[in-house]
Amino acid sequence: MKKYLMRWEVLLLGLLAIELVVFGLINPRFLYPSSLLYGTSDFVQVGIVAVPLTFVIIAGGIDVSFASTVGLCAITFGIANFFGMPLAVSILIGCATGALAGVLNATIIQLTRLQPLVVTLGSLYMFSGAATVLSGVVGANGYEGIGGFPAGFTALGYASIFGLPMPLFVFLCFSAVLLVLLHATRFGRLVFQIGQNENAARHSGMPVFRVQLITYVMTGCAAALAGLLLSAYFGSARVDLGSATLLPAITAAVLGGASIYGGKGSVLGTIIATFIIGYLQQGLQMSGVPSQISSALSGALLVLVVALRHGVALLRDFFPGRLRQSN
Amino acid sequence: MLEWIARDRVATLFMVTVGVILAVGAASPGFLSLGTASIVWSNGLVLMLVALGIFPVILTRNIDVSGGSVLGLSAVTLGLSVNAGFAMPIAIAMAMGAGIAAGALNGFLVAVLGAPSIVATLGTLGLFRGAMLIATGGEWIEGLPENLKALGARSFAGLSVMGVVTASIIILLWVFLRSRRGRWFMVVGDNREAARHLGLPVKRIEFLAFVWAGAAASVAGITFASQIGFVPNQAGTGIELRAIAALVLGGVSLLGGVGSVAGVVIGVIFFTSIDTSLVFLKIPAYWNDLIGGAMLLTVLLIDGRLRIALEARDRAARYRRGEQGGPDLKNAEDAA
Amino acid sequence: MEFSLAELNAVSKSYANTPVIKGVDFSVRAGEIHALLGGNGAGKSTLMKILAGLVPASGGQVRIGGQPLSPATPAQAQAMGLYLVPQEAHIFPNQSVLENVCVGLPKSAAEYRTRITDLIAQLGVSLSVDVKAATLEIADRQIVEILRGLVRDAKVLILDEPTSALTPVEVDTLFTRMRGLRNSGHGLVFISHKLHELRAVSDRITVLRDGYVVHSADMADSADADILSAMSPGVTTLSARAGDKQGHADKAAVLTLQNMSGEGFVDISFDVKQGEVLGLTGVVGAGRTELAETLVGLRPRAAGNVTLDSVSFRAKSPFEAIKKGVVHLSEDRQQYGLFLEAPLFWNTSSLVYDRLPFFLRTRYERKRFDTYRTALGIKCESPDQHVGSLSGGNQQKVLLSKCLAAEPKVLILDEPTRGVDVGARNDIYSIIEQLAENGTSVILISSDFDEVVRLSDRIVVMAGGHLAGELPSGASTDEIAQLAFEAEETAHA
Repeated sequence: MKKYLMRWEVLLLGLLAIELVVFGLINPRFLYPSSLLYGTSDFVQVGIVAVPLTFVIIAGGIDVSFASTVGLCAITFGIANFFGMPLAVSILIGCATGALAGVLNATIIQLTRLQPLVVTLGSLYMFSGAATVLSGVVGANGYEGIGGFPAGFTALGYASIFGLPMPLFVFLCFSAVLLVLLHATRFGRLVFQIGQNENAARHSGMPVFRVQLITYVMTGCAAALAGLLLSAYFGSARVDLGSATLLPAITAAVLGGASIYGGKGSVLGTIIATFIIGYLQQGLQMSGVPSQISSALSGALLVLVVALRHGVALLRDFFPGRLRQSN
Repeated sequence: MLEWIARDRVATLFMVTVGVILAVGAASPGFLSLGTASIVWSNGLVLMLVALGIFPVILTRNIDVSGGSVLGLSAVTLGLSVNAGFAMPIAIAMAMGAGIAAGALNGFLVAVLGAPSIVATLGTLGLFRGAMLIATGGEWIEGLPENLKALGARSFAGLSVMGVVTASIIILLWVFLRSRRGRWFMVVGDNREAARHLGLPVKRIEFLAFVWAGAAASVAGITFASQIGFVPNQAGTGIELRAIAALVLGGVSLLGGVGSVAGVVIGVIFFTSIDTSLVFLKIPAYWNDLIGGAMLLTVLLIDGRLRIALEARDRAARYRRGEQGGPDLKNAEDAA
Repeated sequence: MEFSLAELNAVSKSYANTPVIKGVDFSVRAGEIHALLGGNGAGKSTLMKILAGLVPASGGQVRIGGQPLSPATPAQAQAMGLYLVPQEAHIFPNQSVLENVCVGLPKSAAEYRTRITDLIAQLGVSLSVDVKAATLEIADRQIVEILRGLVRDAKVLILDEPTSALTPVEVDTLFTRMRGLRNSGHGLVFISHKLHELRAVSDRITVLRDGYVVHSADMADSADADILSAMSPGVTTLSARAGDKQGHADKAAVLTLQNMSGEGFVDISFDVKQGEVLGLTGVVGAGRTELAETLVGLRPRAAGNVTLDSVSFRAKSPFEAIKKGVVHLSEDRQQYGLFLEAPLFWNTSSLVYDRLPFFLRTRYERKRFDTYRTALGIKCESPDQHVGSLSGGNQQKVLLSKCLAAEPKVLILDEPTRGVDVGARNDIYSIIEQLAENGTSVILISSDFDEVVRLSDRIVVMAGGHLAGELPSGASTDEIAQLAFEAEETAHA
């Protein structure tokens, strides 16, 4: 398995390199270190939710509600700030909202034993509805959102640490921790085994619900983190901050090697896939494609990957001998 | 009572819908009228068409979340070709052709290449939206001709042409699913391997389900354009999620093989009448998503708990009778 | 020579350059039951799938009723009069029995109703055509499959291990029906692992090994020893247990059950002593699996006391049971036992996951797996291989390694040799003996009375959810059968 995973990730890296070269040829400005580095601030939020989402998918679940959780957490943070709470408390409230959202998802899935897709679809609505209502409470207009953050907070969005922009730095640290957690710890092993065979996991006495709960809570917290980063970056908390992350984040997880049937996936793959998707959008924009279209085209990338993966498997069945010899 | 609620989803939902409508009527006089019924029907048309399209796909144990983008793509095809001077029937045919082609691509990815349907259609959700935006250059299409808008306007007996078309599609689908070939869709979702074993053209059935979904979404796109008279960029965004929610509410199992056209219709009407009621109750529109989402989750929760309670009761009764069948029971648990 | 209803001529099949069927000839004549036997991976199932059009052959000819099977699809094979009854009945749980039988037929289901009720009457079973298939018992599901074949006017029926989930009473009824079909001129292929069953009904026998036909003759001319040695050379009989089976009476009881009741069993009392193999037998559905699952906390316990080492024992979950030293191995290894996509050493560690350090040390785990690999004779390439790529017998050994890693005081093995070929079966027997010698108490749940007699120090028989009796070591299979079935009949009366 390891060999296979390594191959897939190497392939992804190759894809990323090709992508950078092609866009560099179209527009040399694209390859300036500053645009490569600071451009990431436009898409690292995708990676921040995609990495814990990879855990959820490996453990046999799926979560689509994070797209609303991002906005909901930003709004609760904004409201807390609006009512004069200290910054730390406001941040804590935002994160707690994300964690609660995860608890709610996991609990309903456990109680109803329904497919996670249906349940999180429902909460996708509810969370964005709740965010809209809450922002209405403080009289914020949907487009401007809740602003008025302390200067120190908004400065965070543009700060740099060790020469890296703050959002990128947060993303790299966060995913490094999760990389170790998934691939080198007992918890990560449980995530994989529960996704591979939930029944066997239960018969082996593994804490199936607890592990799944943690994966959903992780995704909720990551959504909160993304919401806070985006609020700082844009200087205001809006309901729809996360709606553009839904498709790219799932694409990143699947492109990174996560199997929607559970039991397979890798954090490193998801990280590389995030950069592939992010730079694709950016490269297209710098080549003159409107931003709306370029974000929709991450869907095209997903289709292409899926078609390739399954098409190759199909071909291998048709021509078993030839492929084997060429390997 | 408990048993009846859990086992007959369609009837329960029907009662709940009637209850909600009566309650709203009590709170806001003037709500209970034929006029409101006609509004609910025409407000629900687009959702109804998308839901009817996804329904056979879910019956075969797949899912299609690209419906909203197919709707947008068809609406744009229609708008562009009408504005370019094509005759209405040709423009409609082109719009439907776009929908069918989109459905065929989904079907190809899932049925032929064997990609997981959720992943494949999530991808095409973005792809079709992108194609639509490229076609329009990101502009809204406005100035649609009157004869197109006439299709969506309520004319005779409070029904529009598209309203009648939708009603016929409902009847058509109902009749088809009861036929020998129609049952194949349920059978494939119930047990794919068994269907293959019995010589059913499983891949073709799955493919056709996706094509149907594309076609229905394109009719929804035509309805959408005719009802509002222009095509915005975000036409249809998120409607596939609402459609899936309505299907689940109407008793369609995402595990395939279970569901009825009547359930789909009631599920959609329920959703639409909630939205319409909010307007009558003068609740600001921004409450819609919260109320809709909370309602969906509540229904799922109650329904799921009822089902589990019933299963536990059946199981206990079975052991009391002293009947043996260990493996069977295990299967029943897994299905839950 | 009678007319062949279906035949395979020099058929071969390869998957990804690995040949699995190598030039096999096979035929079914009208009015005969042809037994097909072979170890796991011998190619029986693939061969029958080729005959039924489910898998295309790489070479050779498939003929049904004298005509070549073309195109090679299941629909075509069925149209030409051949039907494969799979090992696990293919059921559409949400459809009626009638729909289930009629799916894929050219007319709508309603038109076949009378025909099917007639067929049900002819088979002598009671089955309503309008019930939802989800409610059917396993035996009735098999009837649905047979009906599918009959309503399609199949002259050839292939029965792939039809008896593996049936009670002996149901097996007898099935055999009567099979003989009836043979007498009306049908040709049947009967696949089973159990030699005595094959002998009971078959006219001819073909044995496959490694994709070759290694034995093909009339049943009457084939001695058991010939068949066994053809299947796995070097094995002529199943070896008997070496050690003495006495001397446990004075040992202390490790696990004691008193008047335990739960789902599917009532008022069960027995004990297991240290280093003892306790055979827990009966027919399928006697409540043994439920009892085991209740012990380890997978099902609720309704009443009764259990003590482990004289201390009251009650596990709320398998986790607690494992902590306290009671380990259970499920009968369905694919669904409840193995992590098929995971490396071998993950599987070995899976019961003791909580004893692993938070930051995993896989080198230590691999080493542990290698210890078991040598001790249990697991045939594999490396500890990183997926379990799914091993044969049935080796998979079972991996499961045993996972149980041993938990160092159980009491090990409950539910049907440990189901679907395992003769060679591996002997290995598993000696592992169980070894375990008992080292002081582990083993509760061996099995429907194979021969196996129970061979291994057990004491035998507890359950029937219809009740304790039917306890027999000492050395009891004959007849004695067990008497307890298992007599009680069964009274329970049904």
